[in-house]
Amino acid sequence: MSELHEMEMRAVYAETLNELIEANPAVMCVEADLAKASGTNPRVSEKHPDNFVDVGVSEANMICVGAGLATEGKVPFCATFSCFASRRVYDQITISVAYANNNVKIVGTAPGITQGPNGGTHMCFQDLAIMRAMPNMHVYSPADVYELRAMMNHMAGQHQPTYMQLIRPKVSQLFDENITFTPGKAVRITEGSDVTLISTGYMTRFAKQAGETLAAQGVSVDLLHCPSVKPMDEEAVIASARKTGCVVTLETQNIIGGLGSAVCEILSEHCPVQVKRLGVPDEFGEVASENYLFEKHKFGPSHVAEACQTLVAAKA
Amino acid sequence: MTSDTIEKFDVAEFNKLADQWRYVITDMICRAGSGHIGGALSLVEVFATLYYRVLKIDPANPKWPERDRLIMSKGHAAPVWYVALAYKGYFPMDWLPTLNADATRLPSHADERFVPGVDATSGSLGQGLSMACGMALAAKRDQADHRVFCIIGDGETNEGQNWEAAMFASHQKLDNLIAITDYNKLQIDGFTDEILGLDPLKDKWQAFGWEVFEADGHDWDSLHDAFEQASAVIGKPSMIIAHTIKGKGCSVIENTPGSHNIKVPDQAAYDKYIGAMSNTDITLPY
Repeated sequence: MSELHEMEMRAVYAETLNELIEANPAVMCVEADLAKASGTNPRVSEKHPDNFVDVGVSEANMICVGAGLATEGKVPFCATFSCFASRRVYDQITISVAYANNNVKIVGTAPGITQGPNGGTHMCFQDLAIMRAMPNMHVYSPADVYELRAMMNHMAGQHQPTYMQLIRPKVSQLFDENITFTPGKAVRITEGSDVTLISTGYMTRFAKQAGETLAAQGVSVDLLHCPSVKPMDEEAVIASARKTGCVVTLETQNIIGGLGSAVCEILSEHCPVQVKRLGVPDEFGEVASENYLFEKHKFGPSHVAEACQTLVAAKA
Repeated sequence: MTSDTIEKFDVAEFNKLADQWRYVITDMICRAGSGHIGGALSLVEVFATLYYRVLKIDPANPKWPERDRLIMSKGHAAPVWYVALAYKGYFPMDWLPTLNADATRLPSHADERFVPGVDATSGSLGQGLSMACGMALAAKRDQADHRVFCIIGDGETNEGQNWEAAMFASHQKLDNLIAITDYNKLQIDGFTDEILGLDPLKDKWQAFGWEVFEADGHDWDSLHDAFEQASAVIGKPSMIIAHTIKGKGCSVIENTPGSHNIKVPDQAAYDKYIGAMSNTDITLPY
C-alpha cells in the first residue's frame, strides 16, 4: 500500500475493510451495485469474496440483509451513495437497524457537494440531519484517510448502529497515523480566543484554510473539527463558546438540521451566543463545480473568514 | 394442556391445542382493548406446526446457535407467536395477559429485544424477508446447517422490498430459507383482489426463482407435507403459500375486512368476541 494520504478515500475505505476482515472474519462488506464507486470492487470483492456481497440495485434490501447478517454476529458495512444510504432507506434503518439495535454500519458515500457531476438528484444535503434525529444511531464524518481508518477501526469493535459519511476521492492530508477517534469527542485543530469555528468531514479542510486567513488578519480562531456529529462533544462546544463568545459552523449540508443545528441546540440551552451557520441554505443541489457552489451558497473558505470577521466585529 | 405434554402428533390433541390458542389470543387482545386479531388467528396451525413439528429449537436456550431461526415479517400478528412461545416454555404464561400493557415485554409487534424466542424485530412491513435473507446468507457463509423461516403477509406482499429479497434469495441460492405467505386474502382496506391483487401468486414466486408449495393453512397434514417438501429443496429458496382464513375461529369477524384490528372498549365487546369463539370450553392458562 502506498502512503495512506496519497490514496483515494475509497481506496483506504476498502483496504481498511480488508484489514478489519483479516482481524475479524465476521466483518462483511455489503454493496448495492456501487461497489466500484465505493472502492470495494475489486479491492475487497477479490481478496475476501466470502466477506463480500453485492445485492444489486436494492438499497432497502441491502440495509435489511445487513440487519439479518448482524443478528448472526456479522459486522456488515453497507455502502451506497449518501442520498440512497439515508433518505431512501430511512425506515429500514430506523426499524431494522436502530430500533432493533442491530450492529449495522451504514456508509453514505459522496456526501454533500462531493457528489459532483451527478447533480441535484444525487447531492444529499440532509443525511446528517435525518440520521442524527434517529435514536440509537451514531453519526460520523471523517475528514481524511487517517481519521477514516481510525474511525472504521473503532466502528468494527463496537456494537453500535452507525452512519458514516465517506468522501470518495483523494483529499488533502489533515492528520497522520497518530489520530484517534472517540465518539462524542471533537478534535481541536487550532486554539484561539476570538471566534469558534466548528466543522465536520469534508469541510474541515476549508475551515482550516479560513482559520489561516483569519490568523494572518489577526483573528484568533478556536477551530473544532467534529468527526462525531452524534454524539456531539457538548463539553468542547460549550467551553469554546464561553471562551470566544461567538460561533460559526460549516458543513456541506443543508443548514437546517445538520451540524449547525446540533451546535445551536447545545448552545441555546447552555451558553447562548451568536451563531452563524454556513452550508447550503435550504436548497437542492445541482450539477456544478465546488467553487460555483461555494460562491452561490456562500460557504467557501473566504465566506467562512468573512462570517467570522463579522461575528468578531459584532462582539465589540 | 401445556406444550410439554405433547410429544408426538395427534390430530385430536392438535385440534384442542389450536382451539385453546385461538381462545387465548382473543382473550389477550380483548384484555388489551384492541389488537390485530385476524392475522393472528389465521396463523394458529402454521405456528403449531412450526413449533411442534418443524423447527429445531431449544426453548431453554433461545439463542442456541444451531437452532432454526424464525422471523415473522408481519409483526402485527405477534400474539399468535407469543402464545406459541409461552406454550413451548420460552417465558411464563402469565406474561400473555400483559400484551400491550404499560412496560410490557410483549408489545403489539414482535420484538427481539424483549421476547425470548423472537429472532428479529418486525413491524414495518416488507423488511423481514430481507432480514431472513441476511440470516440465511450468514448461515451459508458460516457453513452452518440451521434453517431460516420467514412468515410474510399477503397484504404485506404489496411492499416492493419483498421482491428485492425474492431476487436476492434465489440469486444467492438460499435453500436454507423457507418463507410462508399467510394468504388469508384480506388486507386492512379490504379483500386483496380488490385492493392490490396478488394472483397468480404462485407464478410470481416461481418466476423469481423460488420453489413454491401450496398448502391448506388450517390442515395439519397439508402444512406438514409442505414443510417436508420445502426442506428437501436444494439450490433455491422455498415459498409455502398457506391458504388461510383471516379471523378463523371467531365467527363474528371470520373472513371480514374488520377482522384486521378489533376495538374492545367494554365488557359487552369482550363478551361478543370471546363468545363467538368456535370452542368456548377453554381454561385460560394464566
